[in-house]
Amino acid sequence: MTLDLSRISSEVERLAIDAELKSGPGADEALVRAYLDVLDDDLRSRMATARTSWLLARPDGVFRAAAAAREAAGDFAVVASDGSFILPDRHSPARFYLINVGKVLLRYGTEPMAELSAEPTLYYREEELYVPNSVRRVPVNGAVLGLKRSTEELRAVAERAAGLPCPTLALQDGSLILWALESQPDFVLDWVLDPFLETMQRLRQASIPVAGFISAPGSRDVLNTLRVSVCDYPGLGRAVNCDDCRGRIATEGRVPACDVLPDVTDRHLFDRVARLRPGERSQTFASTSKILERYGRDFGIHFFYVHTGTEVARVEVPRWVAEDADLLDWTHAVIYDQCGRGRGYPSALQEAHEMAVVKLEERRAVELLIEQALANHGLTATRSAKDGSKRGRFI
Amino acid sequence: MVASSNGRAPARLGEVIETSTVRFWAESDRLNELPPLGSLVRVTLPSGDVVLAVVAFGQTTGIDETRRAIRRGSDAVRDDEVYRQHPELVQILRTTFEALPVAYRHGGTMRRMLPPLPPPLHYSVEAAELEELTELSDDPRYLILLTYAQADVPAEQLVAAHVRETFMARGRDAIWLDGVARVIARIFKDDYDRLVPILESIEP
Repeated sequence: MTLDLSRISSEVERLAIDAELKSGPGADEALVRAYLDVLDDDLRSRMATARTSWLLARPDGVFRAAAAAREAAGDFAVVASDGSFILPDRHSPARFYLINVGKVLLRYGTEPMAELSAEPTLYYREEELYVPNSVRRVPVNGAVLGLKRSTEELRAVAERAAGLPCPTLALQDGSLILWALESQPDFVLDWVLDPFLETMQRLRQASIPVAGFISAPGSRDVLNTLRVSVCDYPGLGRAVNCDDCRGRIATEGRVPACDVLPDVTDRHLFDRVARLRPGERSQTFASTSKILERYGRDFGIHFFYVHTGTEVARVEVPRWVAEDADLLDWTHAVIYDQCGRGRGYPSALQEAHEMAVVKLEERRAVELLIEQALANHGLTATRSAKDGSKRGRFI
Repeated sequence: MVASSNGRAPARLGEVIETSTVRFWAESDRLNELPPLGSLVRVTLPSGDVVLAVVAFGQTTGIDETRRAIRRGSDAVRDDEVYRQHPELVQILRTTFEALPVAYRHGGTMRRMLPPLPPPLHYSVEAAELEELTELSDDPRYLILLTYAQADVPAEQLVAAHVRETFMARGRDAIWLDGVARVIARIFKDDYDRLVPILESIEP
């Protein structure tokens, strides 16, 4: 049965009306006021004692500062990677997964050149299918496989970026903050972070800045900081305390002061309220994500928002890049330049994605290859009945 | 690779990527560089036979057919500078050309007919040597093969392009051209409207 679009068309209409109401005139009024009212010293002291239930963004300087992009001039290179995978499939006759990392090197300046490649790796050994541990068996699947892919992407980009004869930016698609680690046991954390941080360290030793580029970011760290800024607790002589405040909603019918702020993203804030102009970036902020405690001082992740020419994107860099004003400006310049060349999205990431993607027919080809190899060794490959029913549909 | 009579290896233009008895497609070794329409190319088969074919079509497209080219330049960034600013283009675009076999050489004999076997995939496509072109075109009756082809380029355009290319390569041999005009007149004897434009375009 195909999807019956007529059954949802009236809901789609209501969805549009809702969106229109939310974005109508005056919708951002409170947000604009809160944004313009931020006093840097006041915010700093509020944040120093605040106990919030949200993730905050700690500004590295003046909250409302913005900087235009320099021109990316001279000889430079951008190395990017992106990965995709074939997930382990329990309906398959053999247990395996595959990670395909697309790698791109683009050089600009006096000797322009490009190198595009992909590196597929098949994982099937017991110690690859499960995170090694003597007590528990955590299968490498779903979120854990995503984390492994991130470490592989970073490794690939670091390897290719090493030793190039011109300034090089290592670019990653997505966040450098491995959020998915937050719910993982310690041995999984070590298994993921050891190689990840080792690569981060290698990049730092080679003075190659690394940046994570997030298109259409959904994060709200800066918005949450604004909530601290508008909180009425400090005015009452108390430290910001979200648990306390929220607890009093039910008991005292309290209306939290920060409820005046709409539930929007940082992207909305920097696009509609801060009104970054094409090329401009925001102040850098330090992420206060809990997982970053494991990254160590130099590799804590800082981020800024940048207007790429078509949207406001988020760029994440390790602390050692954020603290080096020249390197930060250069990273900003190269990313904006990449977005210009790629119509709003970095060319290097675009091509890395193209190299990484595993098409449906390629997935089938891998399965077939494995089935044939099994057959050659006298092992009859049997797929599950459910899988068979999907492949050979009948009525 | 077979060395030519002057001792140089023939220039490789590209590689066969699609093949059949009546036509093959080759991908150029260099982006945006391809043999001219109507020029003669050669492929040496595993047996040592050489297939001679006339270039009938050329194009440059994205390697991934689902990705369309978009404008990359501006008033300030034009033509070759576009490629310098977007070095990845050389990797994601490709130039291909189609060639129609018209003859093959078996042993020492040139046969002006479709070769018994299509050139294998991934074999090198080279520019034909002048002596091969001269030997082939000494007897231009093979031109009729070009008119049978179901090609994108109209047959009379293809014949005219090939004759022009050959005429120039043969050092503007007017006597030869005279003979060719007579062969073409015979091929198109029933179609005056197609014949006249060919004769006009091959005029020296």
